[in-house]
Amino acid sequence: MNPNKNGYYGEFGGRYVPETLMPVLDELADYYLKIKDDPEFVQELANYMEHYVGRPSGLYYAERLTKSLGGAKIYLKREDLNHTGSHKINNTIAQALLAKRMGKTRIIAETGAGQHGVATATAAAVLGLSCAVYMGAVDIERQKLNVFRMQALNAEVIPVYKGSQTLKEAIDEAFRDYIANADDTYYLIGSVVGPHPYPLMVRDFQSVIGKESRQQILNMEGKMPACVIACVGGGSNAMGIFHDFTNDPVRLIGVEAGGKGLDGPYHSATLNCGSPGVLHGALSTVLQDEEGQILETHSVSAGLDYPGVGPEHSYLKNIGRVEYTSADDKETLDAFMTLSRLEGIIPALESAHAVAHAIKLAPSLSPDDCIIVNLSGRGDKDAETVASILKGVGI
Amino acid sequence: MNRINEKFAELKQKQEKGLIGFIMAGQPDFQTGVDCARTLEDAGCDILEIGVPYSDPIADGDVIEKAHFKGVEQGMNMSQALEFMSAIRDKCALPLVMFSYFNPIFRRGMPKFVQELKSAGGSAAIIPDIPLEERVRYESDDLDIIPMLAPSSNADRISQTDKAARSFIYCVSVAGVTGIRNQLPDLQDYLQRVRANTTHPLAVGFGISSPEQIIALKDYVDALVVGSVLVKTIEQYAEEKTLLFRELNNTMSSLKKAAR
Repeated sequence: MNPNKNGYYGEFGGRYVPETLMPVLDELADYYLKIKDDPEFVQELANYMEHYVGRPSGLYYAERLTKSLGGAKIYLKREDLNHTGSHKINNTIAQALLAKRMGKTRIIAETGAGQHGVATATAAAVLGLSCAVYMGAVDIERQKLNVFRMQALNAEVIPVYKGSQTLKEAIDEAFRDYIANADDTYYLIGSVVGPHPYPLMVRDFQSVIGKESRQQILNMEGKMPACVIACVGGGSNAMGIFHDFTNDPVRLIGVEAGGKGLDGPYHSATLNCGSPGVLHGALSTVLQDEEGQILETHSVSAGLDYPGVGPEHSYLKNIGRVEYTSADDKETLDAFMTLSRLEGIIPALESAHAVAHAIKLAPSLSPDDCIIVNLSGRGDKDAETVASILKGVGI
Repeated sequence: MNRINEKFAELKQKQEKGLIGFIMAGQPDFQTGVDCARTLEDAGCDILEIGVPYSDPIADGDVIEKAHFKGVEQGMNMSQALEFMSAIRDKCALPLVMFSYFNPIFRRGMPKFVQELKSAGGSAAIIPDIPLEERVRYESDDLDIIPMLAPSSNADRISQTDKAARSFIYCVSVAGVTGIRNQLPDLQDYLQRVRANTTHPLAVGFGISSPEQIIALKDYVDALVVGSVLVKTIEQYAEEKTLLFRELNNTMSSLKKAAR
């Protein structure tokens, strides 16, 4: 669905930001609505998507994985094959093009796993814009490869040493920069979070994933899949693949990071365990205490380690259109190894959450059914994390 | 007429500008914090904002942000900030304003917050992250939410803000976060533009810490807000209370003198 003029999806969304940003967001929303169907912009974006990003990405039938489970056929939407290795580039190229057309010269972004930072730095490089990326110091430590990639792409990586030193604080810091420098600076938000129009823009730019998947599965199977599964942190890859299926009779399943278990505090399962609240400019669901303090989260995957979620997800959960479940760290690591060994595809730990749920679900479905899993990114960046966890258990 | 409106009427009559101070609830500790409020009032502070420590203070710069995190670590929250305000109310007569990011208020529920703020002796709330478009969803007849303007606000937003105001309007001085700034941009055009399109008293804040800045700005407004310089003093002398009260008194006295 599309939000109302104030950016609300049902009761969720809006613009909870300081007054300084309101004129800036008004201008951005107007500009976006004006340009999104502009033939020249559409053509320019399509060109980059095809020749630079490498779209369309494949829809791959994971036959060995399917056979090992003995149930529904599992298809993988190969966003890991995009340039820079994840779905993030779909959004960054589009927003950077928009920023350039608006006359902005500097792009800022936040990043958790580093995938959005790399995708932003890439878009800035190819479009000739300057770029600064805020990143929590803890994430910098666990995603060294991506830090190097951003620096090689000429982006300034600014470490954030505050709070839990992860994605939440990186976003806080990017907002402060934006509030101070909106004249020449464009804040390129990487997920379907933040104040209106960001959740709408990011979803629209990521909806290419679902558009392609729908056509591909119809071509390959001649019917709709039984379900579509995607991991959910902020929720951009999930919104991207779900959006074009929302009016079809297809189960849509979002998988959150179960961390060390939903019964304790060490997880990032916002929609499973959270409550309505305001974080980073939108009213959505957040992990918070009784007094409204935002909680620290945990996940083995930096990209899902976030106490909020996009407002449209809160809405889709509320109306019962999307089911939200979780996979814990152990199930995720198992899925990471299983997919690597059976299919020769090393998934990002974020995407491995979705794979883990498909592994749970497939055996309960008929072999006539099929499942699409959004393989949102590749796992090279996680090699060090996984190796250090599995060391000693003997992989 | 509430305490804030009375205060502005009094200032007008005395032909002086108001000084609005900001401290974080419970810093450096509950009792010393209450005594700090009393010290500030005695030194000439006209209105006091009490900040509620929050985990994600996106409108605050380093000094106040640090105090937010320290407060959160110590377990300070809205419930305790209300108690803190109540303890100050028992000892001071100046108007008290709760400064809180929106989520702690949303979580509590606006009606409950309004009731509790009233019981704690608060006159208004400043909520930096609900702009005009959102505040209409939560407004209550019983709560004065001080509306904010920024240099980027256009004429239309300025007049809408005036309609939303009940006591005064808070003009943010710069596009940016709170904090001590040696240099402020020329604010004359902005503040005169706001003045020309509003009827309520105006306060200017963010970045103001010295008597010189107050002298340069006071002709355009009715009150000036100082926060970081007080929060920093409280942090710096947390362990030496005699010095702390003396320093706070000196700072506030010289700022208020500049505003007279």
